[in-house]
Amino acid sequence: MKLAAIRPITLALSRELVLTALLLLGVSLVVFVILYLAPGDPFSVLLEGQTLSHEARAGIREALGVPKTWYAQYLSWLGGLLRGNFGTSMRTGLPVFGEIVRVGLSTLYLTLGSMLVTLLIAVPIALHSSVRGATALNWPLTMLAYLVSALPVFWLGYVAIYVSIHQFGVFPLISRVSTSPEPAWLYSLLPICVLGIGNGTIGEVVRYLREEMSRVMAEDYIRTARAKGASVWRHAFKEGFLIPMTEIIAAKIPFILGGAVIVEQVFNWPGMGRMAWQAAQDRDFPVIMGIAMIAAMWVRVGSLVQRVVYVVVNPRASRERRGVGRAE
Amino acid sequence: MKKTSVVALSILGIVVGTPLVSPAGPKNDGRPDGGTLGYGEYGRPSTLDPITSNEMVSLRITELVFSGLVGIDEKQEIVPELAERWEMSKDGRIHTFYLRKDVMWHPKEGEEPKPFTADDVVFTYNIMMHPKTITPLKVRYEFIEKVEKLSDYAVQFTLKRPILNALAKFSFKVIPKHGPSNSLYLTRDDPFVQHPIGTGPYILKTITTDREIVLVANESYFKGRAHINKFISKPFADQNILTQALMFNAIDMVVRVNPRDVPELQGDKRFILQPYNALSYAFFGYNLRNPLLADKRVRKAFTYAVNRQEMLDSFFNGAGTIISGPFAPGSWAYNLDVQPLPFDAEKAIALLREAGFAAGPDGIMQKDGKKLALSLKVPIEKESEAVKRVVLAFQNYLKHVGVAIKVEFEEWQAWKETAFLEHDFDIIFASWVFDDSADISSLFHSAEIGPWRNNFGAYSNPEVDGLIVESKLTLDHEKRRTINRKLHAILADEAPYTFLWALTNYSGYHKKLRRVAIHPYKFFSFADEWFIPVPDQK
Repeated sequence: MKLAAIRPITLALSRELVLTALLLLGVSLVVFVILYLAPGDPFSVLLEGQTLSHEARAGIREALGVPKTWYAQYLSWLGGLLRGNFGTSMRTGLPVFGEIVRVGLSTLYLTLGSMLVTLLIAVPIALHSSVRGATALNWPLTMLAYLVSALPVFWLGYVAIYVSIHQFGVFPLISRVSTSPEPAWLYSLLPICVLGIGNGTIGEVVRYLREEMSRVMAEDYIRTARAKGASVWRHAFKEGFLIPMTEIIAAKIPFILGGAVIVEQVFNWPGMGRMAWQAAQDRDFPVIMGIAMIAAMWVRVGSLVQRVVYVVVNPRASRERRGVGRAE
Repeated sequence: MKKTSVVALSILGIVVGTPLVSPAGPKNDGRPDGGTLGYGEYGRPSTLDPITSNEMVSLRITELVFSGLVGIDEKQEIVPELAERWEMSKDGRIHTFYLRKDVMWHPKEGEEPKPFTADDVVFTYNIMMHPKTITPLKVRYEFIEKVEKLSDYAVQFTLKRPILNALAKFSFKVIPKHGPSNSLYLTRDDPFVQHPIGTGPYILKTITTDREIVLVANESYFKGRAHINKFISKPFADQNILTQALMFNAIDMVVRVNPRDVPELQGDKRFILQPYNALSYAFFGYNLRNPLLADKRVRKAFTYAVNRQEMLDSFFNGAGTIISGPFAPGSWAYNLDVQPLPFDAEKAIALLREAGFAAGPDGIMQKDGKKLALSLKVPIEKESEAVKRVVLAFQNYLKHVGVAIKVEFEEWQAWKETAFLEHDFDIIFASWVFDDSADISSLFHSAEIGPWRNNFGAYSNPEVDGLIVESKLTLDHEKRRTINRKLHAILADEAPYTFLWALTNYSGYHKKLRRVAIHPYKFFSFADEWFIPVPDQK
């Protein structure tokens, strides 16, 4: 890569990183305040199962050395975070960061896998219909894609479990690393497919990609390329495929993460979504904060990657944006 | 007392009689060792030590890993465990325990196993009672004044005052002095709470990334090596799939079968359903701060108005017992002579009329212009489905006698604040879970009215207060029983709650598991005796 191409990337990146830091700060503050205002006491999980007493409740914060006001609590949490310490779970006492990394990997596996499934279904339909227009083959497929996108993911999950148990005699909920004789990855196919189909993005990917592709196909430079007999596909690839693809993937990360919470619950998948669910029930605020941070970071990284791709593909774009930035 | 000392003596006899043979090793009872038992749990355990943990999933694990000074056998009698014998002073205040000398702690990785001594007992008590240790056990052991080590293998507990059944309280699990990294108090940050070291029949081996907990048999368990090689606790996020997991052999045992899955397992010859009693019951509790509910005739009318048997049959497949009073029916304190009120809507209406109510133009009963319209606050719990049906049925039954109930569901923590702190409700739906002491003093004594206290409905009756105190102070078991029976009768008549039912819990397991005895709430107390026949071990 030429130096001229790298400079705009580093500039764009550093700008994005500053924005990311501000965004994370904002997210953490909002989540913390919501948690603080929500009814219920995070410390009562420690007292669950014993007869309630006012003294025990009052004494618990003192025993744990918890600051009294909410902002002092937030600042002490933030201070820990800046030192790279996400704190420990109220419920299990385990370090939050290690726990999130542990379950985060299996969520990553689930979400990336399901994204792949989404793309494997959506991209061929979109490309076919943008190149050939509406045909007897791709029109019903497009409709089907829209229909499938509208199915709620939990419903799809239970149907998939029901069918695999009662039609095929397969029990799909054995954890991935358990000692069952069949290869464990086989069991993970079902949740990945369910999330890939049911996360509601297939329809949008099809529509967006088809529109972008059709638009690019109508551009002058494609017509020129076609006229001189060059590969239309190679010319259309960057603007008509790569950019819209990264855009839609980045935009859909939050939705896929949201779907993962449900799929993990339904399929007993040991991931971040299930952990978030449990933590929310327990008011385990260090865990909730940690997950919120990681999820926000994840979404941000998705859009960063998209920007980088955009700039790499089209260096002029970053120069344009810098111009706008100066004008503000 | 006499009985226990006989047992203790005979055990002594064995130890003295065979001084050269260490009792650790195989059980030699003719039953085979080997096999693995995977059991499904709904939810994941928090901590794995017996002190900071406070939910059932953890409790079951600690039951496998740790031992107490005394144990409780299948007939609910006290038997020696870490203590081989004990003495009680005449005034009942001083209890001396003589410890086994052949008990070793589970080996820590890369270290020689350490012997169990009196220091560990003293250490456990001290760490448990330290103000910075947060544990549900503390309130249970406030009756102890101090503990002293007499020698390496003898400890002496001095009680503040003699109490009835003190011996049973010494079944608390002992943890090693070399276990926690902080030797003063135990918090959930301590590595020990996730890597427990005990003296029990199973050793915690690994926790997988899925939080499956693998326990292996302790070869030198002092009561003889447990028969089954391995226990694996598998967490499930959804209760509805536990039974399916059992039926597809993904697990061998479900600790508690979802009531609506019971018929499915009943029809399947591969599995055994084993009922066990939980010392727990469900109820509708009334807020007596509301003048409409302060009249006992109104509360009784509500109890007459609901068909409890019908609810139990249709929502829980009839797996339970309708109760009449404040004790769990499995408990010795329960008064079987008091019958639950029958379902009688006519009687309910008659009682409401007697209390001065008359049907208004909209069909709702009213008195002095005040409508009998009440709020019912229900916590959204894990097993909310059946709960939902119960409260909606309750609402419907009461509608028939002219009472309007507005049902509000609240998230668990929020509900607890509503019910116990703000007292902002007319009726709540909840359940109590008891330990074996059958102590209801905190539920109905008037001194327990106030924020975060258990007498949430502000029930106050001097006679009940007196009986509760008397019951607590007496040292005579029969006398306490009589008092509790009287308490039961009074509270059944006064109806501060509409007492509903105690559900029968069913454990479901593969029939390859043999000699399965289940402790009502600790569950795995006798698991070292369970076994799997050789052909089924695979």
